Amino acid sequence: MVAIATRLAAAAVALTALIALGACTPKEAGYVEIRTVPVANPATAFYLDSVKLEPLKNGTAVLRQGIGTTKLATDGTGGKLALCDIVVRKHRITTVTVSVLERPPRCMCRNSAPDGSGGRSCVG
Amino acid sequence: MKNLKFGPAALERPVVQRALALAFVLLLLVSIAAVRPAFAAGPDAITPVEDFSKELDKLKKSFGDLGRKIDESTKAIEGYSDVEKARKEIEDLRGAVAALLDAVADNGGLATLGDKALGRAREKLKELEQDTRFKPEERAFLVEQWRKLRDDTERATQELGGARTRFAELLRTLQANEDFIDELVQIRQAQKVIEVIHQLTRDIRGASDQLQRLIGAIKPPGA
Repeated sequence: MVAIATRLAAAAVALTALIALGACTPKEAGYVEIRTVPVANPATAFYLDSVKLEPLKNGTAVLRQGIGTTKLATDGTGGKLALCDIVVRKHRITTVTVSVLERPPRCMCRNSAPDGSGGRSCVG
Repeated sequence: MKNLKFGPAALERPVVQRALALAFVLLLLVSIAAVRPAFAAGPDAITPVEDFSKELDKLKKSFGDLGRKIDESTKAIEGYSDVEKARKEIEDLRGAVAALLDAVADNGGLATLGDKALGRAREKLKELEQDTRFKPEERAFLVEQWRKLRDDTERATQELGGARTRFAELLRTLQANEDFIDELVQIRQAQKVIEVIHQLTRDIRGASDQLQRLIGAIKPPGA
């Protein structure tokens, strides 16, 4: 009985911590600037990892993003289409221009670096 | 059937119950804290516009602080021949610019508030145009006030867009210079490093001037 209650209490505390963590924005963050050429139709959807972005204003967005590598994607014919990897570093901005005229759209990095899988990622 | 316990187990029970109760209260408090802002923004029509206005005022003050920080850093960097110190100063400045970019980012608090305020003003205008409760002259007055509020908010959000572009550009300049200094240090061209630092001070002085103009341009809605 005591063991069950203790486990329940621990689970409740863990849940509390998870909720609190979810409510906080990450302190360690950088920025991603997405530009589209030509200016993308506001209906064009973009995703950073699994998060769908608000429609871009004038084809541009500057977004706060937790540090690490994030995937930029758009809607493709068979679901989400990965465009490129973006490396976000603390207090730095990574700029990526997406050429939406091409099929599929293509990322053009302002600065890029090799990633682990043999490809290249956009870096800030 | 009740499972009654006596002896040591009965003594332990209140402690466990207290732990559970405490965990529950904690859970409740966190949930309330997370839900409260949504209620606060809900029913009052003017709240989003007021919130946006207040936050813009705060931001305007922060712009001033950043302007001062840029000027101080410029003076400090100019005097340095120590690359490490200059680099640290640039890093701090990047932190200060990043803090402001946080506020004006498209997914930041202020932009979200601005969108909400603008949405509310537009919605209110639509509602008022079909509202039959008021006399025509009263309705015309209200529509005029909300129209003014919408236009001011639109202007303020446009200025914010300008600020976003400026801060993003400033951050890019800072990080490019910092990276270049790093590269130069690696090939040990000390004199060139100092020249780059001087170039950077000119760049950030220019940014400071532009920032001052920006501070003057941003007007909270209704001002």
